[in-house]
Amino acid sequence: MADFDAIVVGSGMSGGMSAKELTERGLKVLVLERGPEIIPERDYTDNLAPWEKPNLDNVAQEEIAEHYPRQYGGVAYAIKESTKHFWVKDSEHPYEEAEGTTYDWLRGYHTAGRSIMWSRQTYRLSDLDFGANAREGHAIDWPIRYADIEPWYNKVETFIGISGSAEGLPHLPDSVFQPAFELTDAEKALKASVESSFPERNVIPARIAHLTDATEEQKSLGRSNCQVRNHCHQGCSFKAYFSSLNATLPAAERTGNLTMVHNAIVESIEYDAVSNRVSGVRVIDAETNEKRTYTAKVIFLNASTIASAMILLQSKSETFPNGLANHSDQVGRNLMDHVSGANATGYLSGFDNKTTFGRRPSGGIYIPRYANLNGQDKPYRRGFGFQGGATSVGNAGGQIPGIGRAFKEAHRLPSAWRIGIGAFGEQLSNPDNRVTLHPSKRDKWGNPLALFNVKYGENEYKMLEEASKDAVAMLEAAGCTQITATPVNLTKPGNRIHEMGSARMGRDRETSVLNGWCQAHDVPNLFITDGSFMTSAACQNPSLTYMAFSARAANYAADLIEQGVI
Amino acid sequence: MKTRREFIQGLILSVGGAATLSACGDKAPAVTATAPHNPGRFYTGDEMALVSRVSDLIIPRTETPGALDVNVAGYLDGLMSDWASAETQRAHRAALARLRADLDSAVGVPFERAAQEAAEEALAELDARAFEIDQSMEGYRRFKGWITQAYFATEGGAVQELKWVALPGRWDPSVDITPA
Repeated sequence: MADFDAIVVGSGMSGGMSAKELTERGLKVLVLERGPEIIPERDYTDNLAPWEKPNLDNVAQEEIAEHYPRQYGGVAYAIKESTKHFWVKDSEHPYEEAEGTTYDWLRGYHTAGRSIMWSRQTYRLSDLDFGANAREGHAIDWPIRYADIEPWYNKVETFIGISGSAEGLPHLPDSVFQPAFELTDAEKALKASVESSFPERNVIPARIAHLTDATEEQKSLGRSNCQVRNHCHQGCSFKAYFSSLNATLPAAERTGNLTMVHNAIVESIEYDAVSNRVSGVRVIDAETNEKRTYTAKVIFLNASTIASAMILLQSKSETFPNGLANHSDQVGRNLMDHVSGANATGYLSGFDNKTTFGRRPSGGIYIPRYANLNGQDKPYRRGFGFQGGATSVGNAGGQIPGIGRAFKEAHRLPSAWRIGIGAFGEQLSNPDNRVTLHPSKRDKWGNPLALFNVKYGENEYKMLEEASKDAVAMLEAAGCTQITATPVNLTKPGNRIHEMGSARMGRDRETSVLNGWCQAHDVPNLFITDGSFMTSAACQNPSLTYMAFSARAANYAADLIEQGVI
Repeated sequence: MKTRREFIQGLILSVGGAATLSACGDKAPAVTATAPHNPGRFYTGDEMALVSRVSDLIIPRTETPGALDVNVAGYLDGLMSDWASAETQRAHRAALARLRADLDSAVGVPFERAAQEAAEEALAELDARAFEIDQSMEGYRRFKGWITQAYFATEGGAVQELKWVALPGRWDPSVDITPA
């Protein structure tokens, strides 16, 4: 008799959705979270005023050097004294890189994982993306198409809440929207110019997981509309932006079917060769080092793309000497992220008598992919979208000339409007880009360290060079002055925090880890629905897709349990 | 449509700053820089005096509090003590020493004793040089950044001058302002 119907490993973006769907189907679910519990009333810091955050909210420089060198190097904008508890200490959670490579593994270990710290941009994939590998003969084909996932996008979006505008773009399908954050006047001017000069390009409001017209279901979970404070990196006491702590975990909890255990670091998944089923999860208590095993009928891995692959690789058996469900030898391979490093800024005149009210969260505009929409018409494959916005320069943090009254007031009064856009491009999968278990180094709980070996390919470099030129051309078309485009400098792999692909789905167990239901080819009661399953990266922010696939897989697994198949 | 003046006053009223505006008045007297020679946790007494004088010149009291009113020098003393690494502390101390030497030389007397007009003129000239010509003055630019950020991180600077609102509650992408 198993302890639970299902175990979900990880409580973040996808784990929360898996837990919600499984518990709402009446299954008894254990969620294992490797980090400590986050209690919003205690741990969110979004209600602190600027004067309640000493030292400009900066983490002491020597503390950064000792404990956060990699995390801070990757996301300095997000790691503050008031938020550092949401990020791991590199001193406690090290990793290794193969010689000649670099990797940013940026993360937090606690309830809800990175869904607390994400930037909340949410975009659907389309058949342009699901069919890309097959059209180009690259890697392997996705085993599903847009029609398979569309109903699950609808279901997830209705639950989580997304602000955005219906645009009718086939390559960026509309979501179930709540009202968008309206563009500023300068952004509207950019939109008019770009869409006039480049008919295949669109400038639209960023689609973000913020409530702007909360539904009754969302209100019933204690969620309310965004208060436009832009304190999102500190948590949100209004539960206005989506996180699993703000939405999916409470929804799971109210079913009465959820059990959560914190500080539970997975050592391995136990496999029964006779039944060809996984039977349980062996964990180490992060505080006491005590080990124990939880059993269940079905296991969902939602530990994140890197961690889920590591758990599989750590779970060796006679049947799977190279790691659980790794007959294909694809576990840990094909590691992808999005790639940035092509940015441009410029100034738009004519809006000096305009300002804004409120602090809009998470970006203003999105320029969806326009490259290679109808065949291969660019010198690179796939494409990129731009994220950005236009704001009055306003408070320049003192980095403008002048002293006295004029200098003081220059920080408050409306002035020039600056537009900035930056590309997020698709990284092509490559089996040589991988994470493996370090052969000798282990963490303080005895688990092997992650060893990264990831490099960008020629396509990423070529694409970003073209993106930089495009960015300048669009700002020129809008009549911007003082246009600046820094030399293209690709972000480190992992820096966009969109890790994908380490247990890709496909049609053939010889070349993929999962089938189209996120179910392991090799082990039918094992599902992986974090970013691991992504067969290609597309260029859209992926969290929404993780959640849609999680909901779909969870309901499929529940069907199989009901049918007595697993 | 609001005038720029109405816009500012409206925001001040909306965050409860009217009393302060009234107390300061439109033509509040300039605060005469004093030279508080009490050392801080990081700054020596002389350094504290220089930081106080320079911060007052950069962000004077107007209709809203100035750097002296909100104790920017004390804020920076804490910043250097609790945030800055030993390397940053050394660099900042060296930047202050250079700043003192440059300003003393410009006014011909110890800078803290310079008349207000002469002090303003000397610092304005140095500031212009730092931002337009002399790339070696990174230490001053960084110091000025800290002064400004510290000022706006205080309640007086944030609420009364910058019009920071804790709970906007709505997004208006297009607020008209016309010069008064």
